[in-house]
Amino acid sequence: MPPVGGRFHYPVSAYDQRSAMVLLAPMMLVLLAVAVFPVLYSFWVSLFDLKLTRPLRVPFVGLENYVHVFRDALFWTSVARTATFTVMSVAAIMVIALLMALLLNEQFRGRRVLSAVLLIPWAIPYVANALMWKWIYDSGYGALNGLLYQLDFIDKYMVWLGDTRKTLALIANAFVWKEVPLATILLLVTMKSIPADLYGAAKVDGADVWRRFMHVTLPLLRPGFTLVMIYETMMAVRHFDLFFILTEGGPADASHVVAWEVYVETFRRLSFGTGSALAYIVALVTFLLAYSIIRTMGRKL
Amino acid sequence: MTVTLRRLGRRALLTAASVLFLTYVLAPVAWMASSSFQPETEITSVPPHWIPHAPTLDNFRAIFTTGEKAVTYETRRQGDPATGKFIPSTAKNLLPGMANSLIVALSVAGLNLLVSIPAAYAMAKVRFVGRSASIYLMLTTRVIPDIALVVPFFLFIRKLGLLDNLASLIITYLAITVPFSVFILLGYFESLPDELDKAARVDGCSRLQALLRVFLPLALPSLVAVTLFTFLTSWNEFLLALMFTQTPASQTMPIIVASFTSDFTISFSFINAAGVLAVVPPIILAVMFERYIVSGLTAGAVKG
Repeated sequence: MPPVGGRFHYPVSAYDQRSAMVLLAPMMLVLLAVAVFPVLYSFWVSLFDLKLTRPLRVPFVGLENYVHVFRDALFWTSVARTATFTVMSVAAIMVIALLMALLLNEQFRGRRVLSAVLLIPWAIPYVANALMWKWIYDSGYGALNGLLYQLDFIDKYMVWLGDTRKTLALIANAFVWKEVPLATILLLVTMKSIPADLYGAAKVDGADVWRRFMHVTLPLLRPGFTLVMIYETMMAVRHFDLFFILTEGGPADASHVVAWEVYVETFRRLSFGTGSALAYIVALVTFLLAYSIIRTMGRKL
Repeated sequence: MTVTLRRLGRRALLTAASVLFLTYVLAPVAWMASSSFQPETEITSVPPHWIPHAPTLDNFRAIFTTGEKAVTYETRRQGDPATGKFIPSTAKNLLPGMANSLIVALSVAGLNLLVSIPAAYAMAKVRFVGRSASIYLMLTTRVIPDIALVVPFFLFIRKLGLLDNLASLIITYLAITVPFSVFILLGYFESLPDELDKAARVDGCSRLQALLRVFLPLALPSLVAVTLFTFLTSWNEFLLALMFTQTPASQTMPIIVASFTSDFTISFSFINAAGVLAVVPPIILAVMFERYIVSGLTAGAVKG
């Protein structure tokens, strides 16, 4: 049989073909069972009005669940919340990670300690991260109130997570703290790959530190930024854990993001049909976002 | 003169930046640790005691002393605010929860290697029809958000009768970990010269022998990295565990810890103690294997 892929220009040996199939079989089995099948099954379920509160009658409704989702005002609220949360988080992650990477890119005593410590937020569970910030933000005895009070920024303790205007930003802050290490590592690798003679040449041309940063470092960091933006956008859009522990979508609908809506629809209203439709929309939007970021930022690479 | 001044300035700047860096990263964790050693009277002081004045191990003792008392209506309210204890009787669920997490994380890490190594080797070194198709499949599955898998998984697991069973977690965690592992290993195997493979084959090794005897020993650093990622992902996973576990028999550490945070009668000093126990294993692993993790993360991302 001639090779199908354009990569090989000569026939593939039967032995290689056979051994590759054997070696690949376990992974294929796993991916089919726990990724491909669920995704297809999910689409199938989204075409039915499946409610666990009414298990015996499961009428086929076609794309009605999707229409229902798009007509729901709460869905559009949750889209707006997710968009705000994502933009705030990703922007903050990029700025903080850039500053940290610039520091770690210097040679000085103690740098190794910093890069080891940096892994701590990355390694701890989101649940621990969530309870930590919940306690920091606590309106009665929290550290944020205590600190601001001792520094005289506030004259009495305030409500933080319970304030609809602040809640999303505070959750984003907890998210950013946990995500910054990975972003820093990714930016640092890109930074280290910038050839040193570019800086030398800029120096000869009389460029000061600021100019070298603006005209050499920043433009050459573009691939790193693209990567961080794609990855962190995907993480922020689907994020669930912090919303579950910190606010449960509240107060009112101030932190009612799409991931939370999927959870509420499926496991509180037990409406699996619309839940699947919602989950499908989230997956598609994630793909589209990643694709469009690659297109717009990658074009200028 | 100006040179030393500039050097001093540089050092001052780096020191200041390092202090800011350490404060940002460590302050929240330090505050959690400090809170976990405070008794109830201290944790509710205004303004807070940044360092405990009368440190206590009560919160940890409640977790580690085995509860022989049966939970009845009377003892259930052991954590009643009126008694001033604020420590829940469910504190004893935390250690079994951590044991569950450990079982799941180790099983997933092992199975993940068994599945990922041969696949990554085949994709990197064997020429076969369908090679690019299998790589695309792996890449696509890598970006499926977990929230999209929850609904079908739940229906599927329920049909299999595996709800509230650790097996459901082990199976589904493979969906999150295998694509990422294959991706990292594939990159690593590709960076090893093809000649190694050819030489092994000339010496009469089968494909499997070439993999086991030549490539595995060389790929050790990436195997360590992949095992660590898989372990940490499973140890930390929350969403799927929340859906599939219902009783302490199968609940993992994150679920038990989350259940503490939603109970307003539980002292925050106790919740923080639970948090400290949850973060100690991952932090030890991260700091011990820092080099492997950083190289694995960058390898996994750069080509992504």
